[in-house]
Amino acid sequence: MSIACPVNLDREKLKSEVRATYAKVAENPNGDFHFHRGPEYAARLLGYDLAELRTLPDTATAPFAGVGNPFMMDALPAGGVIVDIGSGAGMDCLLAARRVGTGGAVVGIDMTDAMLARARRSASEAGSNHVRFEKADMTGLPLESNSVDVVISNGVINLAPDKEAVFNELCRVVKPGGRLQFADIIVGTELSEEARNNIDLWTG
Amino acid sequence: MIEALQKSGFRNARACHFFDSFLGTTKEAVARKYGVRGANFVAYK
Repeated sequence: MSIACPVNLDREKLKSEVRATYAKVAENPNGDFHFHRGPEYAARLLGYDLAELRTLPDTATAPFAGVGNPFMMDALPAGGVIVDIGSGAGMDCLLAARRVGTGGAVVGIDMTDAMLARARRSASEAGSNHVRFEKADMTGLPLESNSVDVVISNGVINLAPDKEAVFNELCRVVKPGGRLQFADIIVGTELSEEARNNIDLWTG
Repeated sequence: MIEALQKSGFRNARACHFFDSFLGTTKEAVARKYGVRGANFVAYK
């Protein structure tokens, strides 16, 4: 099991392509993409509770494009501080907000303006005042050191060309005794150099 | 992934659930060829 790492990839171009792809998802979640979106997919293949997802604003659930279910591993602590890396339209943030309650706080981090706008609208529609969204790169979080109880993420860290830089930053912000519980893509075989440098495969 | 987590200072890192996230998409065949799937991970500081 491994994660795909680039060899000679243009990292700025990759970031730009990722932003462009997910801006398109934010603007038109029902468009033609080669990955699944939406609450029915989340329930059918990832084990989310469809009845609960249907209580969230469609603004948050329609563009959902995660690859796993970060809520399966352990319950989020009531009153805890949760950060969602690559929060997209905010579906996982709204679920996390319910788990921690109004005594807690949820911060969604994303680098796509269209997703951030959608996520803020979702939180407002859901009445989740203890959720906020920040624009940032996952290697430079606008968060204090040792301030986060649990980091969640869903299908996003694989989009970063330097995973170690991401994990170093996450280690900085997580409290001692805190944890990461996240979902991501794994690759079962060694990829060719050509495949590892193919931006189309990364952004999918 | 596990190695990268450990190098960054996390402990007890492990993958715990797996998902056929590309089932039924246009990339299903490529995903199967390379063993690409979704996974849940947990790691502690």
